Amino acid sequence: MRRKKKRYRKNGRPRGIGVAFREFQKDKIALVSLFLLVLFILFVFIASFFIDQEQLMRINLYDRYSRPGEKYLLGADQGGKDILGQLIIGARNSVSIALAITLITGFIGIVVGLICGYFGGWVDYIIMRIIDFFVTIPSLLFIIVFVTLVPKYSITSFILIMSLFLWTGTARLVRSKALSESKRDYVSASKTLGTSDFVILRREVAPNLSSLLIVELTLNFAGNVGIETGLSYLGFGLPPTTPSLGTLVSYANNPAVLQQYWWVWLPASLLILFMMLAINYIGQALRRSVDVKQRLG
Amino acid sequence: MSFMQIIDLKVHYPIRGGFFNSIVDWVYAVDGIDMEFEQGKTYGLVGESGCGKSTTGKAIIGLEKITSGKILFEGEDVTKERKSRTSHFHREVQMIFQDSHSSLNPRKRIADILAEPIRNFLNLTPREERKKIDELLAIVGMPGDSKEKFPHEFSGGQKQRINIARALATNPKLIIADEPVSALDLSVQAQVLNFMKDVQKEFGLTYLFISHDLGVVKHMCDYIFIMYKGRFVECGTKQDIYQNPKHLYTKRLLNSIPATTPLGREKRKWARQEFEKMYEKHIHKAFDENGRVYDLIPISDTHYVSASSVKEVV
Repeated sequence: MRRKKKRYRKNGRPRGIGVAFREFQKDKIALVSLFLLVLFILFVFIASFFIDQEQLMRINLYDRYSRPGEKYLLGADQGGKDILGQLIIGARNSVSIALAITLITGFIGIVVGLICGYFGGWVDYIIMRIIDFFVTIPSLLFIIVFVTLVPKYSITSFILIMSLFLWTGTARLVRSKALSESKRDYVSASKTLGTSDFVILRREVAPNLSSLLIVELTLNFAGNVGIETGLSYLGFGLPPTTPSLGTLVSYANNPAVLQQYWWVWLPASLLILFMMLAINYIGQALRRSVDVKQRLG
Repeated sequence: MSFMQIIDLKVHYPIRGGFFNSIVDWVYAVDGIDMEFEQGKTYGLVGESGCGKSTTGKAIIGLEKITSGKILFEGEDVTKERKSRTSHFHREVQMIFQDSHSSLNPRKRIADILAEPIRNFLNLTPREERKKIDELLAIVGMPGDSKEKFPHEFSGGQKQRINIARALATNPKLIIADEPVSALDLSVQAQVLNFMKDVQKEFGLTYLFISHDLGVVKHMCDYIFIMYKGRFVECGTKQDIYQNPKHLYTKRLLNSIPATTPLGREKRKWARQEFEKMYEKHIHKAFDENGRVYDLIPISDTHYVSASSVKEVV
């Protein structure tokens, strides 16, 4: 029997992970992106263990704007702080913040979306009006106000504030899919077979949304990497004692830095570009493997 | 002796509109029907698309809200009890859906699909559960290794047999079959129907067989309800309906059954056209001034016809 199954697998078309794997094989850019991104994230997380943040952020005026290779590998900024060290810690912060925001907003969005789509009626109506409210208010302004109001401002409070505004997109997407999925006969069948609503949601509806969710969360992750750096650039992101890619880029607001000291802002900009592009390419390859019509392989 | 009665079942849907989204009108999907079910019989529910057949089935099992009316099961009023998913009623009444494909969750293996009712209604050990699943697969004539497969690996007929196996898992008394074969091709239809008959004999099941296919209904059913616009037009045993139809709408339905022989095609076509003319002329008499179907009047012990008075029944 086992042999029979194996032969079937061999002849049959690939499914699940097999499809995603083939999609990556066909799309070389996505494959390279995946490889480099995994390598980069591993490097950043391991290297950040060996860097003392307080030591790194200490101002040292003798090394002000020292060129790459003079004392530090990538030079120093206006405070004489090592650019390479700031890049590593900044990238680690960006990635972990983006990951945390993606997971929190993903969880809230999935739960709310499933409940809305499955139960419908007045539950759906009330929650959707709340979501509409969150979508219509200018979230960036509110985030800035929150950031200035919160007394003890840290990475955790930043994550929570961002998550408060970013769960609505996922919730809407999951709702729309759950709405169509809940009308399928297998849900009705489960009801007549005595399964409770909670179990139907978790065991029947949610697994059928999984492929869509993986894609949505990957692309959200790419967006969330940009959010932290964007806000830090504006000066409302992480506190100034924490190194951030956005802070490095914001030094380019000074025309002198922009023209003469390119090593301060250019590596950080390139790093942001690389991360966003890589995650987007991976997300697109995943999306194609989920949608039969778009597949390359 | 009937074990289940349906009394004056009504399912009305509001039509909302206007500025305040108030109720403008009602759709009378099911508008006052009475049924009785006896052990081991098959009941056919026939009618054109949109006449309320499926809604009736879904309302009985609790997938649709009932506007008014009562459902009595073994002498008890279960109209409220239907809402609790693990009630005795739900164990005894099961449903087979029209679309065999979409009624099986594509992400679950057959073993898990069949285990769902077992886990909800029967407290079995994992070992007994596996044995029960093997039994069910054997009943519906599926090989044992189908347990590990996913629904998309089966043909339409096989999928419908899995649906039947799942409905049989709790040893129900009544199975509501909502057009169980209309999505299958003819040879597979016969296979599934004969199989359903075999299962019925073996377990003493009662079927409520919802269909628009008069040939299938004739093959399967002992007792037939003809439905039109949410109400019964005529009901009676198979002989009453097929040999002695009384209502004009029933006659027209039976007239529309195609003959299998090509001989005399022209003649039949002419006869059909004549009948259609007669139907157009007299149909207004069969319903009241609002187009509503009259209440049923008994014309024999088993045979009921809707008419304004006994005199009207020709």
